Amino acid sequence: MDLIAQNLSYKPEQEFHLNDVSFSMKKGQLYTILGRTLAGKTTLLKTIAGLLTPQQGTLTLDGQDFATVPVWQRNIAMVYQQFINYPHLSVFENVAFPLRQRKMDNTIINTKVMSALQNVGLMGFEDRKIQALSGGQQQRVALARSLAKEAGILLLDEPLVNLDYKLREQLREEFRNIFSSQVSSDSILIYSSTDPVEAMQLGGDIIVMDEARVLQQGTAKEVFENPATIRVAQIANDPAMNMMQGDIAEGKIRVNDSISLAVPPHFSSLSSGRYTFGVRAADVSVAAKGIPFNVELAEISGSETYLHVQNGGQTLIGLLDMVKDFAAGDKVNIGLDAAKLYAFDESGRLAASPFGGGK
Amino acid sequence: MNFKHKYIFLLPGLLVLIGILIFPILFTVRLSLSSWDSFYPGLDFIGLENYVRLFTDDARFWESFFRLSFLSVTTVFLQYVIGFALAHMVWKDIAFQRFFRVLFLIPMMSTPVIMTVIWRTFFHESLGPLNDFFSLFDMTPLWLSNEYLALVTVITVEVWQWTPFMFLLMLAGLLSLPKEPFLAAAIDGAGPIRKFVYVTFPLMAPISIGAIIIRLIEASKIMDTIYVLTSGGPGTSTETSSFYIFIKGLREFQMGYSAALSFTYLIIMIISLTVIANVLVKLFIKKA
Amino acid sequence: MTFVYRTLKYGFIAFWSMFVVAPFLWALSTSFKDFNSVTGGATYIPWVDFEPSLEGWKVLVRSPAQGGINIIEPYFNSIFVTCMASLISIILGTLAAYALSRFTFKAGFIKNNDITFFFISQRIMPPVVLSIPFFIMLGFLGLLDSMVGLILVYIVLLMPIAVWIMVDFFNKVPREIDETALIDGCNPYQAFFKVVLPNSIPGLIVAGLFCMIFGWTDFFFAFILTFTEVQLLPVAIVALNSSITPWWSLSASALVSVAPLIIVAFLVERYLSKGNLSGALK
Repeated sequence: MDLIAQNLSYKPEQEFHLNDVSFSMKKGQLYTILGRTLAGKTTLLKTIAGLLTPQQGTLTLDGQDFATVPVWQRNIAMVYQQFINYPHLSVFENVAFPLRQRKMDNTIINTKVMSALQNVGLMGFEDRKIQALSGGQQQRVALARSLAKEAGILLLDEPLVNLDYKLREQLREEFRNIFSSQVSSDSILIYSSTDPVEAMQLGGDIIVMDEARVLQQGTAKEVFENPATIRVAQIANDPAMNMMQGDIAEGKIRVNDSISLAVPPHFSSLSSGRYTFGVRAADVSVAAKGIPFNVELAEISGSETYLHVQNGGQTLIGLLDMVKDFAAGDKVNIGLDAAKLYAFDESGRLAASPFGGGK
Repeated sequence: MNFKHKYIFLLPGLLVLIGILIFPILFTVRLSLSSWDSFYPGLDFIGLENYVRLFTDDARFWESFFRLSFLSVTTVFLQYVIGFALAHMVWKDIAFQRFFRVLFLIPMMSTPVIMTVIWRTFFHESLGPLNDFFSLFDMTPLWLSNEYLALVTVITVEVWQWTPFMFLLMLAGLLSLPKEPFLAAAIDGAGPIRKFVYVTFPLMAPISIGAIIIRLIEASKIMDTIYVLTSGGPGTSTETSSFYIFIKGLREFQMGYSAALSFTYLIIMIISLTVIANVLVKLFIKKA
Repeated sequence: MTFVYRTLKYGFIAFWSMFVVAPFLWALSTSFKDFNSVTGGATYIPWVDFEPSLEGWKVLVRSPAQGGINIIEPYFNSIFVTCMASLISIILGTLAAYALSRFTFKAGFIKNNDITFFFISQRIMPPVVLSIPFFIMLGFLGLLDSMVGLILVYIVLLMPIAVWIMVDFFNKVPREIDETALIDGCNPYQAFFKVVLPNSIPGLIVAGLFCMIFGWTDFFFAFILTFTEVQLLPVAIVALNSSITPWWSLSASALVSVAPLIIVAFLVERYLSKGNLSGALK
């Protein structure tokens, strides 16, 4: 138990930016804070950094009060989503800045800076001006600066979000390698992201945040398989998990007049009543014997097709593993695999999942 | 961010400003309640007598205030229109762009009072070049001794001196405008006039309001020009509030009364500038 | 249509350029005249209209005992007072502007914007309103007719300008830069001096130029608060106006006093073109 937050609340004006947030983080681990824009991710990172002071709650590191330590005495590093560097310094001096601040020996600084630049692939750029670098290179400088510090807590606030798609993929891969090889087992790595795919790829623990609250903390696998609430299921899937309001009665799941399925085995413990059923877009397929739907929109993305369909007010998004042209208004039969369904009770909590979660 | 260090940043400036100003302000208020003049210098207490006199028996002060309002509004309006026009003209491709930009800035850099001394010789009724020109038409306008022409002269000099400031603010604003709306307008086939009315002007509205308010504040202090050019004359025909307060306080040494004038003037200025700012926001932003 | 527009545009630019340079050209011409060429009516071109004389310029370098005008001392006085007041205003104004841009202040109903407005609103005060109490205050402090007294007064005049420009400038510098400096081990002072200040040079230059302009062009305070010991340039020149009006030396000294600010005009234009002003002025 290393970095522990208990009941942190931060409310600068009328609205909460952090609302009763608690978590615990261990050294040598990567944590991804997953949440949509304005969920409170940046506020949480800034609170850990000490840039914001929560009005309530405690933050401790190794059992010591951390909240009262001034920012500049906390051993932390942070990479922002905007490419933040010191514009008046060269690449070398940017990376050396925190080390000079610690009054380290020049030769040691030289070694550390060079090895950090090597790690992020910026050898030979030492004397460049920051403005002369591309966005991706600027972000690499910021990362090199945080690595060179060998900070106890490394915060990365959506570091890839402002980069274009290809570069993002490439850097994400590099980041993962750097995290596993360069970050010591004494450090806590905290990464924030809006992208569930990114969070799953990075591995480690996921903390799901929404509207200033922590909704769930668990391993990537756990969050993926057993999302604690409807909201988590929506945030932790891209596209968001489809939700259908319906009832379980007489061995049937009934959503509306035409959508009705047999109750699968993993729902056997559920009593009759009203539920929200969730199904991942990837588990929505086109099947000859399926339920008739009307096509509203079909977007082709790479080798996949996002199919938006509608039946009696119920809309679903299917992620089809093929490229096919659909026209709006086309009739299509949709297969829903009951064995892949999630059920959430009326308060929105997970009642049953195909992976055995729920009550 | 919230650190205790913040006070070390703020307080030196704030305290120095308050320290220098606190005495003058308090003293003005106290002085305005006294009858201090050249015969009986001293801080006696006469209650609101000065204010009663000011509101019931001093048409000259109110005339000077309305004259000031007229002068400020007229000059700032002219400065805004001309300054905006000039800024718009040298904004984009034009020959000798830098030359004209520097040239149009120069009057603002020159000391008003010194340039007014030159203008005085320029407007001189028998020896100045202006009447040399008008003599071609057998005319000798009395630029400084006719009560209406004297106002025109003051306005001319003020416009010459301070249009550059408006020009600077407007040009800086134009240069900071985003390019996209103009591209969109060009794609829609808008001509230069439509472009100005529907794109440039609305985008410049916030900057315009700021520039007009700043200029009104500065223009309301008009003093140097009038002191040198006309000394408020002929008669009181170019006398503004500042100049009247100056005469009462530092020429006739009615210190107590001039303090009451000062204080009243400040209150009116703060109220009217607030009102004007609100009206401008309504006027410009609604249109936009 | 375009032709009419272009004609109007260049016509107006030509007209305005003439208007701008007219008093300068007139002063230049007059500075080479003597008593006869001035009193004989308006004349313009030397050698053609009048016989040029260097009297107006010679007077400036002659000592007062020999009938010269002492303009050199007021010149240096003006430079000193303007620079010192600008410097102090910029230092104090920049620090305050940084605090107002970055930190939250709250005292009852007073918040950051109100404090900023308090600074800037000092520009509303007409010099004449302040001059009487300043006269008495400086007299009490023994600072009448002294540089120190004038500098104190000019700080009130110039600090609002510095605060106005710098608050705006700092608001445009991403605060994440300061935050990164804090995270990298700087305390707030180090963050300001090591990181924020080196990246604020354009804003500082603009604020400096504006302070110089408004300090250099002030007349009224110098006129009321100094007499014989310390004379500033505008006062010295206006004093010429009220005597027998030797137009030639008046013109020459006016040109001399306006000259340094022409350089400032070039600097302002340069920063305008580079786009640094646009941020600082909005």
